[in-house]
Amino acid sequence: MHDDLLLTLLVLLPFIGSVFAATVSSNARNSEAWLAGAVALSCLILIIAAYPAIVANGAIRSEFDWIPALGLSFSLRMDGFAWMFAVLVSGIGFLVVLYARYYMSPKDPVPRFFSFFLAFMGAMLGVVLSGNLILLVLFWELTSLFSFLLIGYWHHNAAARDGARMALIVTGAGGLALLTGVLLIGHIVGSYDLDRVLASGDAIRSHALYVPTLVLILLGALTKSAQFPFHFWLPNAMAAPTPVSAYLHSATLVKAGVFLLARLWPVFAGTTEWFWLVGLAGTASLLLGAFFAVFQRDLKGLLAYSTISHLGLITMLLSLGSPLGAVAAIFHMMNHATFKASLFMAAGIVDHETGTRDMQKLGGLFRFMPITATLAMVAGAAMAGVPLLNGFLSKEMFFAEAIETHLHSVLDTAEPYAAVVASAFAVTYSIRFIHSVFFGQKPADLPRTPHEPPFWMRFPISFLVIACLIVGILPSVTVGPFLQTAVVAVLGSRTPEYSLAIWHGFNLPLIMSLVALIGGALIYVALKGYLQQCADGPPLFRLLDARRIFDDALVILSWRWARFLETSLTTRRLQPQLRLLVLAALLAALVPLYARGLGPLAAIPSRIDPVLALVWLTGCACAIGAAYQAKYHRLVALMLLGGAGLATCITFVWFSAPDLALTQLLVEIVTTVLILLGLRWLPKRSEAVDEPVTFASRLRRQRDLAIAVAAGVGFAALAFAVMVRPLPDTIASYFLENAYLMGGGRNVVNVILVDFRAFDTLGEITVLGIVALTVFALLRRFRPASDSLGAPEQQRVQNAFDEAQPDRKQGDTVGDYLLVPAATMQWLFPVIIVLAIYLFLRGHDLPGGGFAAGIAMAAAFILQYMAAGTTWVEDRLRILPVNWIGMGLLVALATGAGSWLFDYPFLTSHSQYLQLPLIGSVPAATALLFDLGVLGLVIGATVLMLVALAHQSVRKLRAARLSAAAGEESP
Amino acid sequence: MMQADQLPVWAALLASALVLLGAGFTVIGAIGLARLQTFYERLHAPTLGTTWGAGGILLGSIVYFTVAQSRPVVHEVLIAAFLTVTTPVSLMLIARAALYRDRAERNPLVPPDDASQETDA
Repeated sequence: MHDDLLLTLLVLLPFIGSVFAATVSSNARNSEAWLAGAVALSCLILIIAAYPAIVANGAIRSEFDWIPALGLSFSLRMDGFAWMFAVLVSGIGFLVVLYARYYMSPKDPVPRFFSFFLAFMGAMLGVVLSGNLILLVLFWELTSLFSFLLIGYWHHNAAARDGARMALIVTGAGGLALLTGVLLIGHIVGSYDLDRVLASGDAIRSHALYVPTLVLILLGALTKSAQFPFHFWLPNAMAAPTPVSAYLHSATLVKAGVFLLARLWPVFAGTTEWFWLVGLAGTASLLLGAFFAVFQRDLKGLLAYSTISHLGLITMLLSLGSPLGAVAAIFHMMNHATFKASLFMAAGIVDHETGTRDMQKLGGLFRFMPITATLAMVAGAAMAGVPLLNGFLSKEMFFAEAIETHLHSVLDTAEPYAAVVASAFAVTYSIRFIHSVFFGQKPADLPRTPHEPPFWMRFPISFLVIACLIVGILPSVTVGPFLQTAVVAVLGSRTPEYSLAIWHGFNLPLIMSLVALIGGALIYVALKGYLQQCADGPPLFRLLDARRIFDDALVILSWRWARFLETSLTTRRLQPQLRLLVLAALLAALVPLYARGLGPLAAIPSRIDPVLALVWLTGCACAIGAAYQAKYHRLVALMLLGGAGLATCITFVWFSAPDLALTQLLVEIVTTVLILLGLRWLPKRSEAVDEPVTFASRLRRQRDLAIAVAAGVGFAALAFAVMVRPLPDTIASYFLENAYLMGGGRNVVNVILVDFRAFDTLGEITVLGIVALTVFALLRRFRPASDSLGAPEQQRVQNAFDEAQPDRKQGDTVGDYLLVPAATMQWLFPVIIVLAIYLFLRGHDLPGGGFAAGIAMAAAFILQYMAAGTTWVEDRLRILPVNWIGMGLLVALATGAGSWLFDYPFLTSHSQYLQLPLIGSVPAATALLFDLGVLGLVIGATVLMLVALAHQSVRKLRAARLSAAAGEESP
Repeated sequence: MMQADQLPVWAALLASALVLLGAGFTVIGAIGLARLQTFYERLHAPTLGTTWGAGGILLGSIVYFTVAQSRPVVHEVLIAAFLTVTTPVSLMLIARAALYRDRAERNPLVPPDDASQETDA
């Protein structure tokens, strides 16, 4: 239980902190930093506290049922390797928070920053601690998502937006591949549980699906770790705030890729495919990253490419498939995190103090900030692999592994050389980083005068640099035991003997190190002049801009091909779309009918009531009339449509379905108003100016008529056939019998909606909300046809008349005409509200309910708009339909979730009778609360759509005013 | 609640007479709507249905249900109230709109537009 609590807390704490951080006011830098720092520090303390248990038991675990039906559990697991990563994530997270407190400008919206930051940290901890591969993928995607938000933090900046989008596309696509790979693993192993997967290495390696699985997993890992050929997103992610870069590059995002490679190393490594795929990606990233880094002008760009290179080194070590290689890889993950985080922070300080990160502009900063410069030098030396620093140790191990032969091949032979060349470049760019920033000419045109940053901004760097030093000088007594725990967690019984000493004698790795150090320094001396004035990017490769290739690919995929498909397969015209829809429906009905026939028709009514027949005749006449008039007389068509709707309504009453009749009536009213509002924006049609009827158009019309008649008659026949067939033993009888017993309501329809099938209703109201928002969004960008753009003729005449009279103002005529109706509509407002409340309250037992009440309320609101105009109403009545939608959904959800409190499944309802004073015994079910949610949502959705339509005329006025104002200014 | 055939004769007669009266007026109104020639003439005919027509049927309904349920049932008053609030208003609106249109189109059959009269409406 103790482990359960600890692990769950570790993953949940950052997310809870994130929610809190989002709610703090936007200028509270200090409280935000305190909150985030406290969260990170508590996580760190929790993790450290778990260490003894991990050493004793190998791993601590916690498991909850998540989706038991699918065999998924929310299982967390922390072994030595995960522990090491968790320490890095939370520890460096804490230091970055401290740093960010001073780095972020007071003008930046910090709540967003710290909120995303904490959520990202939580996701990363989740990746590290997941004991279930599906859970791991989930957190993996969360890291992609939150890194997207963090990289795009300054979203007013185009580079940040592009970088964030690119990172999301690349890592998101990789995440999808990873998910597929994990599903394949699950298929092979029969479980997603990490322990079981790790134990079935042989089964996976010998399975026929090994190669596809490996490729998919690698796609996920390599995109995340920005390995060649997916490396291009990382330099573009440099548009993020520097604390974010420091965090993403050192302990988190990109490390997730190599973390996964190491995690699954026992399962996948050791085969030829693994060696080639991983080895090629690693070697290419190692070399190219180092080479590109030398030629960057941007400080952070240099560091970004160096990250690619160092991760390439780790990938390459993992590719070897030898346990010693894995040890070196794990050790280097740790070391890289420490020095890279400090270097990024140093780069951030330089940027912060001087206002530029361009190495050709910078120089001589040692005089202004000696302490920062010293710290950066030590960290840079660690990056270059200078002895007595931690980078040296893992690099030695790397060299030692590179010269070993693992698998006879060209790649294996080339690896030692690649290692030395890349290390030489690493020395070169490290020297460049230090020399061009802190030494040489004092810069002439810096945006501001630099000086030392505040102590606490420098503190995280100092801390990490001291860690580099201590680890570098006394490796075996400081990190030794922790590394051993981590290595044992990955390698288990295959853990090799290794030594963490600085001095292994005068051997080949040492010579390689020396060659790299001296060679790198010489390269820098040779290139110094060129680097001072060269354009950004490495020679030759500069022309091959990976980013542009990516953008081009995106354009082709999402624009050209999409457009091609759109133009060749679809139409923007409504008529063909409708024709296709109706034809498809016709076919869908005809095919099974042809195959199976109509079946037995039991109870064909022998006698038809003449009154009902008359109602139906009228209804049919109305419907046909509406269709007939739809082209030139839309208002008439709309009225006739209303007649047809009324006929339906009467039919419902006739057959004892008062609930349906009520809803139908209300829907008819609102729909009519909606279409009325929309009519004004339809393009004009006039019988007089229409084109002459050609033979082709006559043919087309007759074809359409035939389709319409076939579909309509067919549908009527189908409906009739269904209705006269004997009622099979369906669930309906169950509902009828149990509505009162189990749902506490006598209105079976309502009980079904809010109780028996409440989950469906929840989905439906969600869809309704989405539809309303979509309609709103579409109408905001609505551009009417040019001929309906201006005010209607009648309005123009009236306005001209009003303006001509000295004692009248615009709109008086229509106001006069509407005086009495407007008064009626305004007086009816409270009446309709009472009606809506009445409909709502009686809903559980009698016809009514949340939906009907919501529609009635919406009608009340729209009547006010019709009576007095948009401006008048909105001056007096604040309707916030979006809030209504949100509240409705929340209330419905909360009601459903409330049943959890009493250990019942989601959306269980409870009903009883309440004794109210004066009123007496009143039925009260929790379903009523759910219905309240439905009510709110229906009001919000309907009003949002109606108001969006009503606003069209106001919006147009505003546009006209703007153009008029522009017209006055220009002459 | 009594069935229709258990009703006392006087109540059955009264309710039937009222309903028939209302229905008769409504039919007359409908015939008028169909037969009268101009728009302004036609406006008058349907008012029969919404005044006496509806009134008769509603009164009949009151009598029937009051006697049948042995308690006063006056829900129909609400229907009457809403009819009174809405129908005359919409008829007035329709009539004024027609008048406005005819004047705007300078239809010789309607009196000419007089702006000073219009303003005090």
